[in-house]
Amino acid sequence: MSEKLAPGQARAPGHTYQEAILKDASEPPAPFLENSYEFLGDDDIPYTNYTSPEYAEAEMEKMWPRVWQMACRQEHIPEPGDYQVYDIGHLSAIVTRTESMQIKAYINACMHRGTALKSPGDNGYCASFRCPFHGWVYSLDGELIELPEDWDFPHVSRESHSLREILVDTWGGFVFVNFDTGAESLADFLGVLPEHFKEFNIEDRYIETQVCKRLPVNWKAAEEAFMEAYHVKETHAGGRDFSEPVTTYDVYPKNVNRFIHTVGSVNPRMPVPPTEQELMEALWGRRGPDAGDCPQVPEGATARDIYAGVVKQKLGQQYGQDFSHYSTAQTLDSIEYFVFPNFFIFPGLSLPMAYRFRPDPNNPDFSYFDLYFLRPRHPDKAPPPPPETVMLDVGDSYTKAEGLGFLGAVYDQDTDNMAAQTRGFKTCAKGGQTLGNYQEVRIRHLHQRIADYLDA
Amino acid sequence: MRDVSRQISVEPIEQESCLLIDTDGLNILLCNSGGIHYAIENRCTHQDSPLAGGRVRNGFISCPLHGVKFDLRTGEPRGDLARQPVQTYPVAEDDGSLSITLAE
Repeated sequence: MSEKLAPGQARAPGHTYQEAILKDASEPPAPFLENSYEFLGDDDIPYTNYTSPEYAEAEMEKMWPRVWQMACRQEHIPEPGDYQVYDIGHLSAIVTRTESMQIKAYINACMHRGTALKSPGDNGYCASFRCPFHGWVYSLDGELIELPEDWDFPHVSRESHSLREILVDTWGGFVFVNFDTGAESLADFLGVLPEHFKEFNIEDRYIETQVCKRLPVNWKAAEEAFMEAYHVKETHAGGRDFSEPVTTYDVYPKNVNRFIHTVGSVNPRMPVPPTEQELMEALWGRRGPDAGDCPQVPEGATARDIYAGVVKQKLGQQYGQDFSHYSTAQTLDSIEYFVFPNFFIFPGLSLPMAYRFRPDPNNPDFSYFDLYFLRPRHPDKAPPPPPETVMLDVGDSYTKAEGLGFLGAVYDQDTDNMAAQTRGFKTCAKGGQTLGNYQEVRIRHLHQRIADYLDA
Repeated sequence: MRDVSRQISVEPIEQESCLLIDTDGLNILLCNSGGIHYAIENRCTHQDSPLAGGRVRNGFISCPLHGVKFDLRTGEPRGDLARQPVQTYPVAEDDGSLSITLAE
């Protein structure tokens, strides 16, 4: 601990993330070299932010209806009449493709007596939206086109009773919605994100796996489990010394933050650093028992660069693309961007994930975690349609879901802390979470953005 | 024991499509999803409307009326509008020709 530094100025001993990747053979993209950390305070985060039904109601009333949220990927709705339901708390929207291939989103409720037109989380196809109660029918453009026994409804017109449209826009192949029709544009909301992602072609990826798991923790605490790498040593490495990854934490106005941590580099705190060949063997071990012989790292080269070359070549063959221009950091590192309030995306080549978290509308102690694996599209092959979502309940292991590979067990480790945290929130005498100034700044950013909406 | 099943022969159809077989008093929907053929009764268990014309994708068919989805392998519905599975029939594929086994 240093007495001389101002709060938030201290960093882990040794080199920074930016210093580490400057040693790579390939030049990292400029955003990777940026430092955009800001000290955001050090007060405890009240546990009532997680446990209080009144706080959850305030989020539902003042925040969720006013923010852009990822509703689906464009490939969920490739043809006219395809639709995807997006549920957030008690709000529900139908996202669909019209006959003119426009993407539109409507409130999921019949304008007659309010019946939800589609089931929660549903996706599928229909030529029009037909209410199952009395048969009011809406076109894909949302217009009321059939009104059974219209003699009884002289006070109803197409103008007054068409479906309520909400804002919809796309970025990177994702479809975002906003229930506030007066909201700022998606581009303004996303801030630096499109610029930081311009070398990643996120729009050219397809969904390989999608999983929805119910979690025994408030939606914010669920997100926070993925916002820092501070937990890696204890949660994922059994407390093993020097397993802390070298990580940068950055906050961007107003809705974006990130961490990036190295994979396959030397932890600068190790008294006897491993050789590059030992690092290479550790990386090679990730490839499983069929990986073949581990390559030798030539004199003067690094395991990171050699391994990144192997990954780029293998994935290039697998997906029919040339990844040779990807830097070592783009290829190997854990690059996680967060878009307030509930969307995470990893644009790097090795880690294919996107996350979305949603509150349980009936209980602040539970939430839903939508997990996607996105892979690069083969340019000469039609991508497969999105697979059906694997549904996991609170007690189900992620390892039950095919396609998550070794990450299934990692997610189980993360989830194991969640029920314990929910219990601890309610018995802890201290009243709130204490956060690290640097490593946990993204958590504070999340709470400050929520407060911006709740206090408005 | 008397064999009470009968078989009908049909031609394969395009992937992610369905074809109504309504000759001979039948009301069967032949579906192809992912190169595998399935046969189901052409009746949505939600509100008794035909499933013919529904979109086939990923091993499911969506009812064109309200969008209820049925798993083509098991007939089980998804979502909260329908509770009952749709009737399914075994389809055998032999050297490019198909036969559907129906109970009498």
